[in-house]
Amino acid sequence: MMRIAFVTTYPPGKGTLNEYGFHFANHLRQKDEVSELYLLVDELPRGTTYPADEPAEDGRAALFYRPCWRFGSWRNAWRIQQAVANIKPDIVLFNLQFATFSERRVAAALGLLAPWLSRQNGTLSAVLLHNIMEKVDLHQAGFGGSALLESVTRLAGNFFTRMLLRADMVAVTIPRYVEILSEKYKADHVVLAPHGAFETIPQPSFNLPPGPLQIMTFGKFGTYKRVELLIQAYERLLQRVSHPLELVIAGSDSPNARGYLARVQAQYAHVEGIRYTGYVPEEDVPTLFQAAAVVVLPYTSTTGSSGVLHQAGSYGKAVVLPHLGDFTDLVLEEGYTGQFYMPDDPLSLADAIEKLLLDPGFREDCGRRNYLAAVGLPMSDVVDWYLLHFERLLNRSLAPDEVYQQAMVFK
Amino acid sequence: MNIELQEHIVRTWVIRLSGRLDAFSVGRLREQQESLLEAGGKRFLVDLRGLEFLDSAGLAALVSLLKRARQLGGDVVLVAPTHEEARRILTLTRFDQVFRQVENPESYLNSL
Repeated sequence: MMRIAFVTTYPPGKGTLNEYGFHFANHLRQKDEVSELYLLVDELPRGTTYPADEPAEDGRAALFYRPCWRFGSWRNAWRIQQAVANIKPDIVLFNLQFATFSERRVAAALGLLAPWLSRQNGTLSAVLLHNIMEKVDLHQAGFGGSALLESVTRLAGNFFTRMLLRADMVAVTIPRYVEILSEKYKADHVVLAPHGAFETIPQPSFNLPPGPLQIMTFGKFGTYKRVELLIQAYERLLQRVSHPLELVIAGSDSPNARGYLARVQAQYAHVEGIRYTGYVPEEDVPTLFQAAAVVVLPYTSTTGSSGVLHQAGSYGKAVVLPHLGDFTDLVLEEGYTGQFYMPDDPLSLADAIEKLLLDPGFREDCGRRNYLAAVGLPMSDVVDWYLLHFERLLNRSLAPDEVYQQAMVFK
Repeated sequence: MNIELQEHIVRTWVIRLSGRLDAFSVGRLREQQESLLEAGGKRFLVDLRGLEFLDSAGLAALVSLLKRARQLGGDVVLVAPTHEEARRILTLTRFDQVFRQVENPESYLNSL
């Protein structure tokens, strides 16, 4: 039985990857191999709190919330390491992207030392890295600046990537990322761990509710997910399509782009039929997806696998995606399908959406295929992959006689 | 995808896979695996030499079988794929280090 610490953002915290953290933790708790799960989460703004700790029950591991880091702080790596030292888990898993700990370079980078610090102090550490420096568009990720500053940032990024690779295992969600890290850094402990569909959902209904056809996008916007192009495409669709339409922009600003959606809303106030939902609570997510005719992923650069794509698949939805090298490869490799558009061309995006809107049969075929792709690899299975690797690491770190004793216990 | 089954000594099931094992064909394999587990199977030799393509959904089914078999005190042994498109996912996921692999299935079965 394993005691696992999981460093992550987590609802009601609104940091990037909070939804991934929530579902991953939920599946971890349900595994027989896990006895205790400690969530090392970010401190919430005044007035909001995490739920109470939960004891082990109904086959679910005990769950403990340990807020121990703060977005933007320089001290996160140290504080996380202290928390890990107090808990003494068998392994600590970090759910990270490069801007997890701050929108400012220094604080963001210092936070990435946490896996190395934990390992230095004797705890097995694993990292799930959602993006890699070699593929991050610094400007769109909120770390833009002069050419010199970007060069320095990239150099620093290479250094901090090496520090992340000091973890006992580094998992990434895109095959190409494994190849890049293995070749460039000569790392042989980088593993592919696909995103997986959050939930195993029974076959969805492919019927839409009455009313306007909804074009929906979901996420945290302002860095590499931007909606200007989508709104421009929507304006064209309003002129072309006779059926009533609605554009649903669901979600909030990225922590690295505060105020972005308010600016967009003001800029496009003249466009009719756009609904900004703001933050979508977990319980409202199914309704949001079920009502959508088409789900659009308005990404401007590659950022790892897409949670929204897997959610859209789970709900049997047709998707419209940007034609971005690694991302296109990943989508097709994972068995999904969709209409692709050129990332800087509103006409191309309008055409892609229109094709799905005007052909309900094609739309349903795409939705069914995406559903099959999503259920083919549920996150529950992906979590098993991590646990098998954790067992391998734990066995490797034990002395031979301890491994033998553990084997005897299993018998 | 074709699935060929053969029961060997000491209740080791040999599963030979050919064609493509992906999100669209994996359902059949999962069903077959479930039947074998329900029938008491816990030792499996999965021969992937004839597999032309393996994706993460297909691998997930094999990993799921491995986990269930180990819980029952058994194991899953692989005969590695020969096609690069099938081998790639095993390497990228490092499951080539998790599964026990043999090159010669006949000598492995004879050694049981």
